[in-house]
Amino acid sequence: MNKSDILADGLWHNNTIFAQLLGMCPLLGVTTSAENGFWMGAATVLVLIGSNLVVSLVRNVIPKNVRIPAYITIIAAFVTIVGMAMNAWMHEMYLILGLFIPLIVVNCAILGRAEAFASKNGVADAVTDALAVGLGFTFALVLLGGVRELLGQGSLFGFSVFGESYPDVLMFILPPGAFIALGFILAGINLINRRLASRAATAQQTTTPTPQEAA
Amino acid sequence: MVIALFVVATIAAVLLGLTDIVTREPIAAAQKAALHQALRQVLPAHANDPQHDQIVLAAENASPADAGTVIYPARDKNNHLVGLAWEVVAPDGYSGSIRILVGVRPDGRVFAIRVTRHQETPGLGDGIVKNDNWLRSFVDQTLTSKRWKVKKDGGDFDQFTGATITPRAVVKAVKSALQFFNAQKAAIVARLAAAPTTQPANTAGGAHE
Repeated sequence: MNKSDILADGLWHNNTIFAQLLGMCPLLGVTTSAENGFWMGAATVLVLIGSNLVVSLVRNVIPKNVRIPAYITIIAAFVTIVGMAMNAWMHEMYLILGLFIPLIVVNCAILGRAEAFASKNGVADAVTDALAVGLGFTFALVLLGGVRELLGQGSLFGFSVFGESYPDVLMFILPPGAFIALGFILAGINLINRRLASRAATAQQTTTPTPQEAA
Repeated sequence: MVIALFVVATIAAVLLGLTDIVTREPIAAAQKAALHQALRQVLPAHANDPQHDQIVLAAENASPADAGTVIYPARDKNNHLVGLAWEVVAPDGYSGSIRILVGVRPDGRVFAIRVTRHQETPGLGDGIVKNDNWLRSFVDQTLTSKRWKVKKDGGDFDQFTGATITPRAVVKAVKSALQFFNAQKAAIVARLAAAPTTQPANTAGGAHE
């Protein structure tokens, strides 16, 4: 698989949130603001890179029947390291994200990448995949956090957008708002994908069909 | 098989140990800095280092697990006690317990309160952090100057639109803090008089600035 395919897959076509609908717990839990979403995403990127890197390195050493506990141990170690580092150098954000940092361990998207990709590919590809999937996840968290913050509190990244008189719309700050906003975002993504597909189809009809068409 | 798992776990344990060594001091420093900033907000202007001068007041017939209440005294440059602060926990917040730093003057009036840790709903219950007017409604109050309940319960403190449980928990906790102070005042003052102090602040107070 070449690198640009891996990147496009993780960022868009197979986006953890928008295509696979994995990792809903941190997504719905921390996205009350764009900034919280960003830092949660950043922590997840670090864990993903670490776990994909190590899993890829040891992929031929770990016996098949104990691979899952081994992967979980590796992931848990990285999550704990990231948590300690945040506690030390980003104390305030650590307090805000709180319980969701240790819960990165059980984000199935991370074990999913270890099992489905890193355990079968070389180190360079595994790290590229971690970066793509992690950034795709961060993009989703920031987008949803941004929408909820904008509609709920009238601000973006803490800066007021609609002015002081904007009444807080509690619905979007509370969990139901997360589901509603996510639903609309998914609808928008599907719409974009359908447009792209139909444009690609018409483009193919006008030009002469190529042998790679089936691919 | 077992050996592979053992090796993975051992390496993970070593890495975590190393990270702990590296981060232990920054974490302690970050916590101390956060507390320092909170104390500056709940205590009158002072010349000492309240964290350095802290005393621990053990509760009566406390279990060994109960570490007692840590009290941070504030003194002016003439070494007069101008305020005291300690942390109380409201166990009945909307989501989990709320930790509140309560600062009082020696005569029992509230100087200021500040929530140091909470998990209340953003936009609803987190008014206990963001709503300055509400926080100011505690200033200068004593146990007898207000009815220590939210208005919905027949008291003098506002609840928030859509959030009653959170302010109710905080009001209750601050009330219990004042009751604690009234009951223990003599003991606290006696302990503080006996405790060594940092004078002036530049001996220890400036070190972690």
